[in-house]
Amino acid sequence: MDLSDYRIDSEPYYRPLADEVSLFEAAYAERLPMMLKGPTGCGKTRFIEYMAWKLGRPLVTVACHEDMTGADLVGRFLLDADGTRWHDGPLTLAVRHGAICYLDEIVEARQDTTVLVHPLTDERRVLPIDKLNELVHAHDDFQLVISYNPGYQSVLKDLKESTKQRFGAVDFDYPPAEVEAEIVAHETGLERNRAELLVHIAERSRQLRGHGLDEGASTRSLIYAGRLMAHGTSLEAACRTALVVPLTDDPDLREALSSAIAACV
Amino acid sequence: MTGSGASVARLNVQGDYLPDTSDPAWERGRKLFVGEAGGRWLATFRQLADAGCLHGALIGYLYRSIEIGHHLGPEGGLALGQTGAVVAKAAGGRSAAALFEVAPRVARLLDRAEPFQNWLDVVADIAALAPESVVPLADHAEGLMAELDVPGFKAWAFTGIRAAGRDPVARFEFFSNADPRARGLRTREGGELAFIDIERPLQFYQGLLWGDHSPLRALSGQAGQGGRRATFDETGIRLPEAFPGVTGARAFDLYKAVVAHAGAHRAFTRVRFPVRRLKPLQVALVSLIEDARVEALAMRRFPGLRRLWLPFHVAETGDDLTAPGLMARLARALIDPEFDDRSAWVQKGRAMFQEREADWHDPEVSRTIGMLLGNDLGQMRVQFNPRTYVVEPPYRDDNAGLWYQDQEPEESEQAEMTEGAASTAANDPEPAEEPDPAPPQSETMPVRPNPRDSDPDAGAGPTALYPEWDYVIGRTHADWTTVVERLPGRGRADEVQKALERNAVAVRKLSGLLSGLRVGRPTRLKRQPEGDRFDLDAVIDARIDLAAGVTPDHRLYARSERRERDISTLVLLDTSQSTADIVPGLGYSVLRVEREAVAILGRAMEDAGDPFAVHAFCSNGRSAVDVTTVKRFEAPFDRLALSRLAGLKPGLSTRMGAAMRHGGRLLQRRASHRRLLLVVTDGEPSDVDVADPRYLIEDARHAVQELAGAGVDTFCVGLDTDGGRTLRRIFGRRNAVSIDRVARLPDRLASIYLRLTQ
Repeated sequence: MDLSDYRIDSEPYYRPLADEVSLFEAAYAERLPMMLKGPTGCGKTRFIEYMAWKLGRPLVTVACHEDMTGADLVGRFLLDADGTRWHDGPLTLAVRHGAICYLDEIVEARQDTTVLVHPLTDERRVLPIDKLNELVHAHDDFQLVISYNPGYQSVLKDLKESTKQRFGAVDFDYPPAEVEAEIVAHETGLERNRAELLVHIAERSRQLRGHGLDEGASTRSLIYAGRLMAHGTSLEAACRTALVVPLTDDPDLREALSSAIAACV
Repeated sequence: MTGSGASVARLNVQGDYLPDTSDPAWERGRKLFVGEAGGRWLATFRQLADAGCLHGALIGYLYRSIEIGHHLGPEGGLALGQTGAVVAKAAGGRSAAALFEVAPRVARLLDRAEPFQNWLDVVADIAALAPESVVPLADHAEGLMAELDVPGFKAWAFTGIRAAGRDPVARFEFFSNADPRARGLRTREGGELAFIDIERPLQFYQGLLWGDHSPLRALSGQAGQGGRRATFDETGIRLPEAFPGVTGARAFDLYKAVVAHAGAHRAFTRVRFPVRRLKPLQVALVSLIEDARVEALAMRRFPGLRRLWLPFHVAETGDDLTAPGLMARLARALIDPEFDDRSAWVQKGRAMFQEREADWHDPEVSRTIGMLLGNDLGQMRVQFNPRTYVVEPPYRDDNAGLWYQDQEPEESEQAEMTEGAASTAANDPEPAEEPDPAPPQSETMPVRPNPRDSDPDAGAGPTALYPEWDYVIGRTHADWTTVVERLPGRGRADEVQKALERNAVAVRKLSGLLSGLRVGRPTRLKRQPEGDRFDLDAVIDARIDLAAGVTPDHRLYARSERRERDISTLVLLDTSQSTADIVPGLGYSVLRVEREAVAILGRAMEDAGDPFAVHAFCSNGRSAVDVTTVKRFEAPFDRLALSRLAGLKPGLSTRMGAAMRHGGRLLQRRASHRRLLLVVTDGEPSDVDVADPRYLIEDARHAVQELAGAGVDTFCVGLDTDGGRTLRRIFGRRNAVSIDRVARLPDRLASIYLRLTQ
């Protein structure tokens, strides 16, 4: 099976913050299952894309959601004219052919689905497919990576302790101001001082984390705003579209955010 | 009631009822109300008497009708009487008397007959809809009509009546002005923006700019230079309820400017200045420079704040040499580079400030410059009256938060100047939550009974009788216990509010969860015998089975089910004497922990839209089971509810069965799918007039069964009880939970509720 569709051809831009790159290289060398923890839009997915490119491996990404069943991960029989035909799911694909499998926002999936990955995190690295009566041994190059947003923990939705403990973890967070400004400037083409202003605004919004907002503005939304501004949109309009309106529906919060943005300018 | 008043005497052949006919007022009246009007005037007394007015009201009408007649003409006096009769019929003679008392002052304010008549008509309407509220309305009428015109008054009153629903207690509180919404609505009808209208966006704004989440509150008492200016201290910022004369968007900008400025102080004025021997003028000037310094630092971080603050500096240059005038001009000169002032002193001040730009991070700059400038003004013999000085522009605070009194003041002037500082710094870290609601003129009003008195003779609420189960004879005693509904006292909501803030994140998560459940996320049911779509996995398995020659399973369908959340909950809190015990390790009482837990749960339920009520109970024998309503189902869980929660006091005993039956009766009337009675107690049922410990336990158990039969579920959260077994006996093994560490109640109560109601 040719996984060339999943290969990353050109270098994705990723600005390292600490030693996460070398850490992940070491983890991959040992094929350790890894967890990327951090708020939304701070670079987790971009990081894994970068690492996949750097290590020369194909990357199979699965966006997890509440309705995801085991079959969505592992595979299912499909019906065609001749009868039934087995179709590998994305996880099985990666396991058989040695790709990195990235389960994004894994906490969204139901816990009975999530535990399917447990056998892959053991020493034996196997994936039982009971419908085929097959025990798939992972390819030597296979690695499992998950992303996890700690802010969305709840009584009802959290990773089981037995799942969490099977992974090594790297923390991600919004970068320090100068670095974030550098990233924004690079991704948008904006002048450095305007990028810094956007970062200043994002930092204000992050003050309300836990006090009205679940998350402040993410780096990604700053980049959206910056790209609008690079096209000539005013700062106020760009921030409204990319930051204020997506972040909250609450009119009082929107009012306060707009006033705070005005104060920054 | 006609003719039964002590000194209402029949007089003349027409049979009119006229009080105290020897009173000289009659002469004045006869001169004023002449001819046909005179006849109508005399007839009014009879109408009033027929409507239930006694001597006091009739005398009141005698005097006040004459007063108004002189001011607005005889028709005005007659109109008063007509309305008085309507009011007396609807709301009783005392209400009419209260109306008469206040009418002349209102007449003076309105100054013309027509608006006065309109006002009387509105009062008559209010008397019909809210008879209990005429007396408080009259008490506050003068203040109201000073602020509102008659249509505004009508709008305000009707809004309040509607907002209170059908609840006379809520209406009464609205018109007593005890409800802050009343004040807020009032200023809104006057066109102004009230603090409580925009409190929420301002709170967010403070968080965004300064990362400061301390709660913003309204001023109380005389703080803030008589309520005209904001003030701040270590606990947070307090703002005026409204800025008179400032409306709409400009008012909102003004409030934002207040928060930005006071927040800048809290960020950059780290340490208070000692007053020492500074004269009031110097104190004022040091404060002014400090204002400019923190604003300058703030504008470095937030350049846009200049655009927010500048429009409020309206001082113009001139020749006047009063201190306030010069100071306002100096303030403007320091923030506005385009402003040129003639005065050498202002120019000097600006030059000194600009020169020290490199030192703006150091508060010492303000002291140095301020004292020098103060000396200058002293030498210029500029007059300064600290008693009347108000900081300008209006967005700036009263500077009380900058100073502390470190020695006895030498002059009385100095004491006044720093009076605000001393009280804020030393004596009053947590002032009362509710400002004094009585306006000054109530001193002259007769004292009216306060329904919030817990004195039973003053009229506690309604009572109800309930049966009690006697396990020994195996029968209920009918009408055995008396439950008295008590109106709640008020406490300081601060402490409960703080608990909510400490747990804000948890509250938000919980209400998010509750609302998620409420909306009814669809759950997927698979392998169903019927449904609206195929379960693909099941179909494939069936096909495989067919191919293998095995009979396939017929459950091939999937469907989604939305779970609707439709549940009413009544939280019943034990406030018996044992809840006064101090929780080891926490240092405060069990009751306080219960309060915080209920506050958190209540806030989350409120946010999520689950209807709920909160009662507190204690008992002193079977004829005195007190149930205090902290929150009714229809009422919002707002500051008022929090202050009632805070006002709960521990005492007496725990006759649980009666309180549960009472709560259960209320729940039975709810139209929801599920009804839950959630009992929070720290012990077993017991009471002073019951010797047998088992008796009330068995009664409570029987009450649970009665309620279950009536469709009300019960659940008990026991705190640190040895009687965990007892509670399980009463409520059922699965319907009681014991929390071993009382301190964990706030966390646990919420998650217990969540699990119960999924």
